[in-house]
Amino acid sequence: MAVTNQLGIDLEKYKWGFREPENYVFKARRGLDARVVAEISAMKDESDWMRAYRLHAYEHYTQRPMPTWGADLASIDFDNIFYYIKPTDKQANSWEELPAEIKRTYDKLGIPEAERKFLSGVSAQYESEVVYHNLKAEWEKLGVIFVDTDTALREHPDLVRQYFGTVVPPEDNKLAALNSAVWSGGSFVYVPEGVHVDIPLQAYFRINAQNMGQFERTLIICEPGSYVHYVEGCTAPIYTTDSLHTAVVEIIVKEGARCRYTTIQNWSTNVYNLVTKRAVAYRDATMEWIDGNLGSKITMKYPSVYMVEPGAKAEILSVAFAGKGQHQDPGGKVIHAAPHTQSVIVSKSISRDGGRAGYRGLVKIYEGAKGSRSAVRCDALILDDRSRSDTYPTMEIDEEDVSITHEATVSKVSDEQLFYLMSRGVKADEAMNMIVRGFVEPIVKELPLEYAVELNRLIELEMEGSVG
Amino acid sequence: MADQITEATELTRGAVEALSARFDEPAWVREARLRAFEAFERMSWPTTQDARWRRTDLSGLVPDRLRPFVEGAPGPLPAAVRMLRDQLGPTAGVLVQRDATTVSAHLDAGTAGSGVLFADMHAAVRDYPDLVQRYLMRLVRFDEGKFQALHAAVWASGTFVYVPAGVEAAVPLLALSWTDIADAAFFPHALVVAGPGSRVTVISASGVGTGTGRTLSVPVVELVAEDGAAIRHVVLSDWGRQAWEIGVVRAHVGRDAALHSLVVGLGGEVVKTDVESILAGPGASSEMLGLVFGDGRQHYDIHTLQDHAAPHTFSDLLYKTAVSDRAVSSFIGMIRVHPGAQKTNAFQSNRNLILSAGARAISDPKLEIMANDLRCTHGSATSRLNEEHLFYLMSRGLPRDEAVRMVVEGFFAELLDRVPLEPLRERLRGDIATRMAV
Repeated sequence: MAVTNQLGIDLEKYKWGFREPENYVFKARRGLDARVVAEISAMKDESDWMRAYRLHAYEHYTQRPMPTWGADLASIDFDNIFYYIKPTDKQANSWEELPAEIKRTYDKLGIPEAERKFLSGVSAQYESEVVYHNLKAEWEKLGVIFVDTDTALREHPDLVRQYFGTVVPPEDNKLAALNSAVWSGGSFVYVPEGVHVDIPLQAYFRINAQNMGQFERTLIICEPGSYVHYVEGCTAPIYTTDSLHTAVVEIIVKEGARCRYTTIQNWSTNVYNLVTKRAVAYRDATMEWIDGNLGSKITMKYPSVYMVEPGAKAEILSVAFAGKGQHQDPGGKVIHAAPHTQSVIVSKSISRDGGRAGYRGLVKIYEGAKGSRSAVRCDALILDDRSRSDTYPTMEIDEEDVSITHEATVSKVSDEQLFYLMSRGVKADEAMNMIVRGFVEPIVKELPLEYAVELNRLIELEMEGSVG
Repeated sequence: MADQITEATELTRGAVEALSARFDEPAWVREARLRAFEAFERMSWPTTQDARWRRTDLSGLVPDRLRPFVEGAPGPLPAAVRMLRDQLGPTAGVLVQRDATTVSAHLDAGTAGSGVLFADMHAAVRDYPDLVQRYLMRLVRFDEGKFQALHAAVWASGTFVYVPAGVEAAVPLLALSWTDIADAAFFPHALVVAGPGSRVTVISASGVGTGTGRTLSVPVVELVAEDGAAIRHVVLSDWGRQAWEIGVVRAHVGRDAALHSLVVGLGGEVVKTDVESILAGPGASSEMLGLVFGDGRQHYDIHTLQDHAAPHTFSDLLYKTAVSDRAVSSFIGMIRVHPGAQKTNAFQSNRNLILSAGARAISDPKLEIMANDLRCTHGSATSRLNEEHLFYLMSRGLPRDEAVRMVVEGFFAELLDRVPLEPLRERLRGDIATRMAV
C-alpha cells in the first residue's frame, strides 16, 4: 500500500529504498552460503551482473584467510550472524531491552525520544522526511545524485556498474569480499562537473528512512572540479544486536575535485567494526578523510588514498578513544603513485580504563613519484596505567626525490598542566576534560559544528570518573 | 686425534655430535646442542608470510648446501684484517678467529690480573664451565626460532668476556674474525658478562678475506650488564658481497646499568639483524646507535627493540642509513613499555638518506605502550640529497661528487660524534669515504 504525503512523495518507497516482491518470503537465518547470497540478490530484484558479482565475491570470501595481524578477530562467529535482515526487522523489541549505558548516552546527548528509538533500532521510523526532501530538491537542481546504493543500482544502473568495485575489488581482502557478497544499503553520491555542494551531505537524514546496514556499500563519484562533503553516520551510539559491521566505501575524486568524508563512529561496544575505505585521487584532486572512532569493541579501519596523477593531495585526520574492553586500531594509508603528490596524516588517540588505542598506517611512495611529500604525526595520550597505546606506521619509499617525515609521541596528562588549571580554580575532572579536549582540538575543529559539539560531549561522557 | 672432524658437510644429528666431540664438550653442552637440533628439525624455515620476515626472502638461500662447520687453516693474517686490528688499537686484548678456529689470543697482563676473562668460547666452556653454563643461551633461547635453534645446535667459535664486579676494563677488547672459504656457514657465539659495577668495551669486527662465493653467518651476541655495570659494545661487519648474515644482538641491562651499543653494517648481500635491549632493572639505560651504508644490490633488514620492563628506565636509539644504487634498507624499530614500567623515557630516531633513484628505504617505527606515566617519542625521516646544500657547496668551487661526499659525511657525523672511540670513528669515516669514492 502506497503512503503519500502532501508533497506527493511515495514515503513507503523511500522508507525502504525498494519494494518487496509481494509473493516472496525471505526467512532471515544465521550463517552464510551461496544460497543466502543468491537470495539477497533475488530479494532486491537485481540484474544478472550484480548477482554474478556477489557470488564471485562470496567464492573469494570462502577461500581468503582472515587477517592475522592487528586486533584479535578470533572470536567473531561468522556462522552466527544474520547476513541480511529485512529493514522492517527490529533490532530490539522495546526501549526497555536496551542496555542502560546506551539509554544514558542518549539522555546526555539530548537526543529527542523519537530519534532515540530509531537509532536504537526500537523503531525503524523517524520522520525527518521533510528535511531530507527539501535538501533533496536542492541537490537535484544541481544534478547531484544522493540516494541509497540499492536505489542507485535500479535508477542509475550504468553509472553504478561503471564504478562499483573499481576502487575496492572483492579480492582486496576477506572482509571486502564479504561485503561485496552481501552488501545492502549505504550511499551513492554523484557530483557533476564543477558543482560545489555547499551543505554537507549527511547520510543521517537519509538513513532515517531505512535501517542502518551492517554491510553498507558507499560509492562517491566527484566529477572534475566538483566539491562535496559527505558525513557518515552520527555521533549518537548506534545499538545493534549484531556483532559485525563490515562496510566498503569507494570514492573517485577526478581532476581538480575535492571530497571530504567525515565519520564519527560510535557503535555499541559489542560490535566488530571492520571497514574498508579507499579513495582514488586524480590530477590536482584532494581527498580528505576525517575519521573518529569512539564506539565498537574492535575497530580496524584504515582509510586510504591512492594518488594516481600529479598534484593529487591526501589528508587523513584520525581520532580514537578506547575505554574499557575496547581496541581501536584505526589509521590510514597514502599511496603516492604519481609525481608531486602530497599527503598529511594526523592521528590522536586516547586510551583509558584498560582500553587499547593506536595508529596503524602506510606511506607508500612508488619509484617515479618525484617531488612527493608526506608528513605523519601521531600523538597518544594514556590516562591510566592499565591502558595501552600502539603506533605502527610503515613507510615504503622507492623514490629518492621525496621528503618524508614521521613523528609520534606518547605521554600522560602532565601533573603540571593539571596543577596549573586547578590552581585557577578549575576542578580536577573539568581540568582533565579541558586537557583532553585540547589534545583532540586539531581534529575537532575540522568537523561540522554540530558534530564538533557532540564529539566534545561524547568525550566528556567517556571521561566521566577519570579523575580520582 | 685422527678421527677429529675438520669439516661438517651436512646438517645432521651425527654432525652435531661430532662437533661436540671435536671440542670435547661436557655433557650439558652436548645435550643442549642436541635438544636445539631437535627443535631445529621440528621448525620450518621462516617465509615472508611471517611478520618478522616480511622484508627478507630466504628463498635465495639454500642452507643445506652450506657446510655448517669449517676448520680454519693456519696462516698469516690477511692484510685487511691486520690493518683493521692496527687501526682499532690500542687494545687491551685481541682475539683473532679464522673460520671456526681461533688463530691467536692475547690479553694484557694487567687486564688479566684484574680478573678479566677474554677467551675463545670453546676454551671458556673448558676453563670456566660454571660461569658459561650460568649465562650461555639464557638470553637468546634455542626455541625462539629456526635460526636460533640452528645456532644453538652448531655454534662454533666466538668470544667470551667476563669482567668481575667492580673492575673497570677501560681499554677495548677486540674480537676479529674473518673467513675466506666459500659455501660455508658460520655460527659464532659471543657472550659478554659485566659483573656488578664493572665496565668494559668490546669491539667485534668480522669480514671476508680474499675468498668469494656464498657464505652464511648466524651470529648470536648475548650481553649481560649486571646491576650498575656499563658495557660499550660495537659490532662492525664488513662481509663480502655474497655473504648472508642473520644475527641477534641482545642485551640484558640490570638495575642502574648502562649499555652503549653501536652496530655498523657495511658489507653483505643480505643482512638481517635483530638488536634488542631489555631494560630489566630500575635505572637501566640503553643507547643504541646504528650506521648502515648499502650500495649495489645490498639488502639490510634491521629490527630493533627497546624493551622497558622496569620503571625509571631510559633508552635512546639513533639509526642512520644511506642507500645508493639499488640497495634496500628496512628499519623496523619497536619501543615496548610493559605494564608497571612507569617513568620510562624512550626515544627512537631513524634517518634515511637515499642517494640514487633505484635505492629504497623502508622505515617502520612502532610503539607498544602499556604504562602511562612516561615519555616516548619516535621520529623517522627519509630524504634525498638536499640540492640546496649541494648548490651551496658547489658555488664554493667544490665539484659535485666532492659536495655529495661532504653531505653524506655530515649526515653520519651526528652519529659518529656520539662514539667516543676515536680510532673507530676514524676507521668509519674512512669506510664512508671509500664508499663514496666508488
